[in-house]
Amino acid sequence: MTGRPIDHDALTELFNIGLHRAAASLSELTGQRIVVDLPRLWICPIEETHSRLRELIEGELATVHQIFMGNMSGDAVLVLEYENASRLAALLTDGELAAGGRLDQSAREVLAEVGNVILSSCLSAFGDMLHVSVSFAVPRIHVESLEGLLRSIKVQSDELHYTLLAATRFRLTEGEVGGYLMIAIGLASLELISDALESGPS
Amino acid sequence: MAHDELPFSGDGVSMQLLHELAQVLELGVLTVDRSLVVTGCNRWLTAVLESQHREIVGCPLLEVFPELRGGPAEQALRAALSGSTTVWSHRFHRYFLPLPARPAVAEGRFDRMQQSARIMPLVRDGAIDGAIVLVQDVTERAAREEQLRDALSRAEVASQAKSDFLASMSHELRTPLSAIIGFMDLLESEMVGPVEPLQKEYLGRVKSAARHLVHIIEEILTFSRVEAGKEPLQPEAVDGAALTRGVAELFEPQAATKRLTLRVAAPETAMLFTDPTKLRQILINVVGNAMKFTEAGAVSVSVQQHGERIMFGVTDTGPGMTAADLERIFDPFTQLDQSLTRAKGGTGLGLPVSRKLAHLLGGDLLVNSVPGEGTTFTLWLPTVIGAEAVLPPHGQSVPSALS
Repeated sequence: MTGRPIDHDALTELFNIGLHRAAASLSELTGQRIVVDLPRLWICPIEETHSRLRELIEGELATVHQIFMGNMSGDAVLVLEYENASRLAALLTDGELAAGGRLDQSAREVLAEVGNVILSSCLSAFGDMLHVSVSFAVPRIHVESLEGLLRSIKVQSDELHYTLLAATRFRLTEGEVGGYLMIAIGLASLELISDALESGPS
Repeated sequence: MAHDELPFSGDGVSMQLLHELAQVLELGVLTVDRSLVVTGCNRWLTAVLESQHREIVGCPLLEVFPELRGGPAEQALRAALSGSTTVWSHRFHRYFLPLPARPAVAEGRFDRMQQSARIMPLVRDGAIDGAIVLVQDVTERAAREEQLRDALSRAEVASQAKSDFLASMSHELRTPLSAIIGFMDLLESEMVGPVEPLQKEYLGRVKSAARHLVHIIEEILTFSRVEAGKEPLQPEAVDGAALTRGVAELFEPQAATKRLTLRVAAPETAMLFTDPTKLRQILINVVGNAMKFTEAGAVSVSVQQHGERIMFGVTDTGPGMTAADLERIFDPFTQLDQSLTRAKGGTGLGLPVSRKLAHLLGGDLLVNSVPGEGTTFTLWLPTVIGAEAVLPPHGQSVPSALS
């Protein structure tokens, strides 16, 4: 991996800060109390990401991609199993959307906004720690297979070598839904994060 | 700057291309500088702006639309100035810019155009120079979704109201009827004084009518409970053959009175794991129905095991039904011939309740009939409730033992 091991606990804390901000924004947006937990976090080389995700998820996926640029660059993706994406859209809209199980245009818009909030919040937490501004492209929602998801990341850039993979759980009043956050970055970005975590909060 | 000038990022060629594109797009494109002063507005957006806002370019956006100030819209614009992109779904926000809705598509549901939007940084020469807002009119889709939701909600409310009404009315009727029957028993027992023979006969008639009424009310109650999904299952090991023989025995006096032959063809045992009360209720309803409508000939009841399923058959030599009748037979509150209803009594709920109970037990209740020849009801159940029952196609033939 990198020259030295990354501080796993500090990285978890960083994700937690981002997810906490995301949950606050989502709660305000939907008018219901939403908590986003981070049960597990992995740092894996991009070639191991497939087998790792294969153990965790199956079937068709709904993903929200957000490319980010700046001193730290890469592709951040919210990954949900299709059924869970449909459930999440229904829970966030009091059952008004995706009740039939299919993600129609409005449900996709909702998920794009939710993905945007979560990914931006997490990336901003990274940006704040690194004292750099991170800018984001327009998020895109896709329905794809796991292979398609990883292929699209490889196609975007051969420079993306690692993924920070976080299992997340959205807890709402009426139920909870599991998903994954995947931040694909290059070696330089990973070292930047590692250095910043090592030097501690400034 | 003119209305249609849009300061996109990029070199001269791509700038020109983007500018041309923005003018033909069927969505709104608005740009602001770092002070949130409007620097560009495409043709589509200019056309949908209210007349007093047509000269928007050069004006501070928050002065043109004061309601954006301090809210999530201003936050999104400021976030764009620091490099973030915001997705704005109509479901959560309704709209980004307060624009009038086109009445033809809003169907009276919205005054404002419903929008989804993207708010992004505008980069010039590598630096964030302002923000660009893309606005899409989704009013038509939003109106359609609201219409669907309204229809669904009305249907749910109506269905719930009906079930609640039936349940509460039935309960209210049953309570005084219990008292009527109880006091009739008391009078009949002569505990409160002697009763003349004629009075006794009349008391018997009143009691019989009251019991019939209780039976009807029980049917309505069961129907509303099953329909509301409030009918609990209590499965146990049941001998389907013994249960069928027991049900047939209940109808022996009626068969003798009507001079009908009552046949039972059942193996010694036919074990299944199901709710016996509900199975008995279905068989009583179906056999009772056959007895009620058959004036001559026979009513035959059978049980047969078919692998993981058990088939109960009830065949009569009654008047039979046409294909059109068969389509309606399981509709609640429907009796095929209203003159028969008056003659035979009943709520029209017996068969709908029976089919709903069959579904509850993981099976189905099917019917075959030939006008003038008779009718066969076939109840298919899984031998173990919860195990998926593979049901036969409609038109399953009568078991040979009964034909």
